[in-house]
Amino acid sequence: MNLDLGGPGAGCSAMRVRRLLAGELSGVEKERTEAHVEGCERCAAVRQEIAAEREALRRDVPFPQFAAAVAEKLARRPQHRFATRWAPLAAAAGVALIAGTLLVRRPVETETVRAKGAASARLFIQDGKEVRELSAGDAVPEGARLLLSLRPAGRKRAAAVLVEAGETSVIYQGRAVNGTLPQAFEWTGKGVATLLVVLSDSAVDAKSIRSVADAPRGADVLTVTLRR
Amino acid sequence: MRVLAGGVLLEDGAVTVRGLRVVVGGRAGDVAAPGAPMSAGLLAELYEKHAAAVYGRCRYLLRDDAEAMDALQDVFVKVLQALPEFRAAASASTWILRIATHHCLNLLRARKALWREQLRTAQAERRHETEAPDRRELVRVLLSAAPEEAQEVAVLYFVDELTQAEIAQEMGRSLPTVRKRLREFLSCAREALGIELEGADL
Repeated sequence: MNLDLGGPGAGCSAMRVRRLLAGELSGVEKERTEAHVEGCERCAAVRQEIAAEREALRRDVPFPQFAAAVAEKLARRPQHRFATRWAPLAAAAGVALIAGTLLVRRPVETETVRAKGAASARLFIQDGKEVRELSAGDAVPEGARLLLSLRPAGRKRAAAVLVEAGETSVIYQGRAVNGTLPQAFEWTGKGVATLLVVLSDSAVDAKSIRSVADAPRGADVLTVTLRR
Repeated sequence: MRVLAGGVLLEDGAVTVRGLRVVVGGRAGDVAAPGAPMSAGLLAELYEKHAAAVYGRCRYLLRDDAEAMDALQDVFVKVLQALPEFRAAASASTWILRIATHHCLNLLRARKALWREQLRTAQAERRHETEAPDRRELVRVLLSAAPEEAQEVAVLYFVDELTQAEIAQEMGRSLPTVRKRLREFLSCAREALGIELEGADL
């Protein structure tokens, strides 16, 4: 039996269709490609595939999540001059989609760090036009939005719960996404609260977690103290 | 630092409780911005123009959405750190997809056992199937059988559908070298599947 693995066809090229849609073609090449794509089933399939890719991106990695995650990765390379200039901007875009906003970023010491040498979580805070990582001892201003970013290091499931005196709120339960959770949250309480982040290989029932001891055995648990 | 009741404080600042490992306190990466503020618009523009294609490539090669998301971010970190090169590229789409392909192939090589297992599954399925398989999925698993440079050439040829001349130009290789790499890939693929393959006029 013979199998066809494909390859470029007569006038057909997935990359050329991509470049056409990205506005990278001009002159004769553009005209020729446009004319070809018009009546080509194979190129129509490529266009459909490109449209599906866009849908998948919007569904799985919305821009705020993407930008905050890129910011975090850039921040891990502080020795790189470019990274130090980009990290705060990407973080800002990630939390608030604020293009062109003046942003302030401080070097901080956070309460969220690595476990097992790999698993970690970071908490970004947006207060007005300022976006920064939550510093140890920082008070969380009224109305500030909080965005949690996970680094699950191979863990499959995650949960995040906010534990306050007499009350526990589930922030997230589901797949251990690598990067920023899609939803920001706001803490409306007062005094002290603890954000518990559980990263586990097995399913985590967030509603049952009120303290570190409630996490599944063998899980990584990270805590962040919120103060107001 | 809060030490939990019944916990054991470790030297690195972590606490273990009932087999759990809890970490409180520590230092974040230095992400101070000493320079003047810049517009975040470029990142948004890169996302709009290229993220979908990169994510699609990462999902295709890695077959794991979570890993693909992670790889997507890594690729854009690389892009942001190589902006002059990116801007100088003849085709931004081709350049960025090559970065994505290279990144994902490296990840796959690091877990070669799993990749090879997928190839063995494909081999077993070929013995029982009468219908042609999804050709791109077949290319993906067959990549594991090929040498490194042949892998990238195969993606450019069979997935991106660049001509051999375009691949030679893109990779800075001679046309005979590109042809040789494609032959290597097809030879490995034939050997792996034990059947004839079409699709490359070599």
